[in-house]
Amino acid sequence: MRRAAAILALLLLAVVPATAGALTVNEVAREVRCPTCNTPLDVSSSPAAADMKQYIAERIDRGWDKQRIIDGLVAEFGEGVLATPAKSGFDLVAWLVPGLAVLAGIVAIGILAWTWSRRRAAATPAAPPPPTAEEARRLDDELRRLG
Amino acid sequence: MEAPADEGAVPARGRGWDRRRTIAAIAGGVLVAGVIALLVIGLVNRDVGTSIQDALDEGERPDAPAFTAPVLLAADGIGPVGSDVSLADLSGRTVVLNFWASWCEPCESEAPILNEVARRYRGRDASVVVLGLDVQDLSEKALAFARDFGISYPSLREAGDAAYRDYQLTGLPETFVIDPEGRIALKVVGEVTDPTQLTTAIDQL
Repeated sequence: MRRAAAILALLLLAVVPATAGALTVNEVAREVRCPTCNTPLDVSSSPAAADMKQYIAERIDRGWDKQRIIDGLVAEFGEGVLATPAKSGFDLVAWLVPGLAVLAGIVAIGILAWTWSRRRAAATPAAPPPPTAEEARRLDDELRRLG
Repeated sequence: MEAPADEGAVPARGRGWDRRRTIAAIAGGVLVAGVIALLVIGLVNRDVGTSIQDALDEGERPDAPAFTAPVLLAADGIGPVGSDVSLADLSGRTVVLNFWASWCEPCESEAPILNEVARRYRGRDASVVVLGLDVQDLSEKALAFARDFGISYPSLREAGDAAYRDYQLTGLPETFVIDPEGRIALKVVGEVTDPTQLTTAIDQL
């Protein structure tokens, strides 16, 4: 019981600093891209990127939350400023297609495996038919002669 | 009696298998043909709407790509701030279209030159308008820039990058002289260092 409590306390220690800390410029910056260099803003150092980081820092100081700052940047630069496509409208396709492709691949592999296994079963030679009465008699004769 | 039945069953299964293989082959063929068609379309259309610079080099005047953007700085009859203005609204006038941004250093040094060009035509000839188009910029920074450098001519502001792409910009600043028919007569890549770079072309139109 004490051990479980200790583990829980450790887990909380690990999680709390990440969530309870104040919003940083980079946390917002990695959600958008620099319009002049087409790289995520947190790794961009162009003059335009510097202006955007200053915009983010000023909004954080004013107490804006992450989404409100991102919305502000979208209003300034358009939807294209988002590092990842929006999860609505036509942009949803970018999120759905990879998942659907993987699903289609899994189904295709399943169908192929099923088809191959059926073909192999069909190709396995059937057991030879039992000898006819005439063949059995001749076999017995041969064996008797040899024996 | 059993043997003929067996003989009948085997070809039936064979036919089914053949049908599946045919369908799969057709589907695969369609897929491959589709990919090849896309590649061909891409290759064929690559040169459609060729480079503006190439057309100008060949002495042609390519059509200026259309755009619509809200007014950031109202002046010379273009406004009010926030209203949408398109290139078509200015047809019949020569437009000196200057792409700029507040973070662009060469834009700072060419601002007085563009002011001078605007002043030159403002008084005597309203058929020429100098029009800024602020791109890849924060509006508050752009407004501060306009204040700091005393920009007297009107400017629009584009939030996306459609005009930047359509005019095939490779950086900022770039300036285009568009004739009254909406065709590009001159393109200046980089900073305009002398008013005559623009006025010579404008006066020839």
